Amino acid sequence: MRTNTNHFRATRLLRMLGYIWQCFYSSCLRFWLKWFLRLVTGRCELQRICARCKAGALRTAQIEYSLKCSKSKVLRAALSLKENDLDEHLAQIIQEKRIKEQKDPTFKVNLRQCLLQINGYSELFEEVEDLRKQVFDSENEEHENMLLKLWDLLMPSEKLESRVTKQWGNIGFQGEDPKTDFRGMGMLGLTNLLFFSENHPDAARQVLSHASHPRLGYSYAIVGINLTEMAYSLMKSDALKPHFYNTVSGKPQMQHFHHFYCYLAYEFDKFWLEEEPESIMEFNRYREKFHDKVKGQLQKPEVKLIMTVDQEK
Amino acid sequence: MGLLSILRKLKSTPDQEVRILLLGLDNGGKTTLLKQLASEDITHITPTQGFNIKSVQSQGFKLNVWDIGGQRKIRPYWRNYFENTDVLIYVIDSADRKRFEETGQELAELLDEEKLSGVPVLVFANKQDLLTAAPASEIAEGLNLHTIRDRVWQIQSCSALTGEGVQDGMNWVCKSVNAKRK
Repeated sequence: MRTNTNHFRATRLLRMLGYIWQCFYSSCLRFWLKWFLRLVTGRCELQRICARCKAGALRTAQIEYSLKCSKSKVLRAALSLKENDLDEHLAQIIQEKRIKEQKDPTFKVNLRQCLLQINGYSELFEEVEDLRKQVFDSENEEHENMLLKLWDLLMPSEKLESRVTKQWGNIGFQGEDPKTDFRGMGMLGLTNLLFFSENHPDAARQVLSHASHPRLGYSYAIVGINLTEMAYSLMKSDALKPHFYNTVSGKPQMQHFHHFYCYLAYEFDKFWLEEEPESIMEFNRYREKFHDKVKGQLQKPEVKLIMTVDQEK
Repeated sequence: MGLLSILRKLKSTPDQEVRILLLGLDNGGKTTLLKQLASEDITHITPTQGFNIKSVQSQGFKLNVWDIGGQRKIRPYWRNYFENTDVLIYVIDSADRKRFEETGQELAELLDEEKLSGVPVLVFANKQDLLTAAPASEIAEGLNLHTIRDRVWQIQSCSALTGEGVQDGMNWVCKSVNAKRK
């Protein structure tokens, strides 16, 4: 009991010391350290980061952190820029930090790329959010066509007998009309499903055939919509940043989000088959396990989660 | 209102678990109801593959709410969750008239289950926020609820989306659990 209390006290003391150090570092030491390094190297922190780190998450995340902590309004504002204002703002930063471009010719290009990635991420998230908020509407011809196209791509040898039919269950929707299954993921869910089938038709059909397994099967479309939610919440929590910073050198686009969804859909299927769950009722437990696995991968600075197709054994 | 306040209304007997089971067809609103009870965000809900569970614990007394997916394919698994159920909450989409017959059949089958015999049942006539929703009285009649003799039952109109009516339903749930434990 005694050692337990002591142990508890020690952890608390350590935590407190850590906290004091953090406060001390961020409020005072960091400033003087930067001032000193600037004096010795003749370069500001942004320049040092660009010189020290190779392009990708390592560099962009450090630039992002440096800008966020900056005392300068101009630098902090660089985190919420529209693409059109980028070059003008870049010039302002260079002026504010009194950077001599001739001495560090690559700096501007590098910082520009970082800013494109940082601001592109939040812009992309807004687009993703807009698509998610769009409710699937059976009166909307475009929505309907997308749904029918999904069927044709996944089930090329079987025709839909009517728009409302039990057949939808064959690709893993719950009832006779898929329109009620998109729920909180809206058109983002359907767009993800369709993108996977359009861009990787063989892989999508392979995943669907696994999902149709009598014992190890799961509802393909419903699980897909759950994985859209996973991709969405990872993006919302900024956990996807390192992946995007490493895989897209400029402004990320919607298709990059869809590609990440494809990675999840393909990898989850493999994961599910390897784990051999007792039944579909175990889905949420394995979903969590898979989620933790992906989150763990996303914590590595060099992470790139790209779908790579294995040869079917 | 949250799960904790429900737990507080229940007469506490230490080391005991109160088990509430949420069933109903897919797209009835079970998960929304569960999240509403747990005061969680309801804007990102996805169809339930398998089940969800929320638990609260206070002074060794535990409340578990089980939300089981409603799609036809997994209805055969419902029976795995019947044991020791204190109250069954059956959720109906009041605006989906085309499926009233199907939902009535499923409910009738549940009421015939031996493991659920005598278990109080609360029917939530959900989605009352929709203009096309049928009133609770009409649903009660359609489901022949008045013929239920072997247990206490209640129908409550509600909107899991706005939270309206949910509290009233849960008060009834607490009352019937307490009555059963006397």
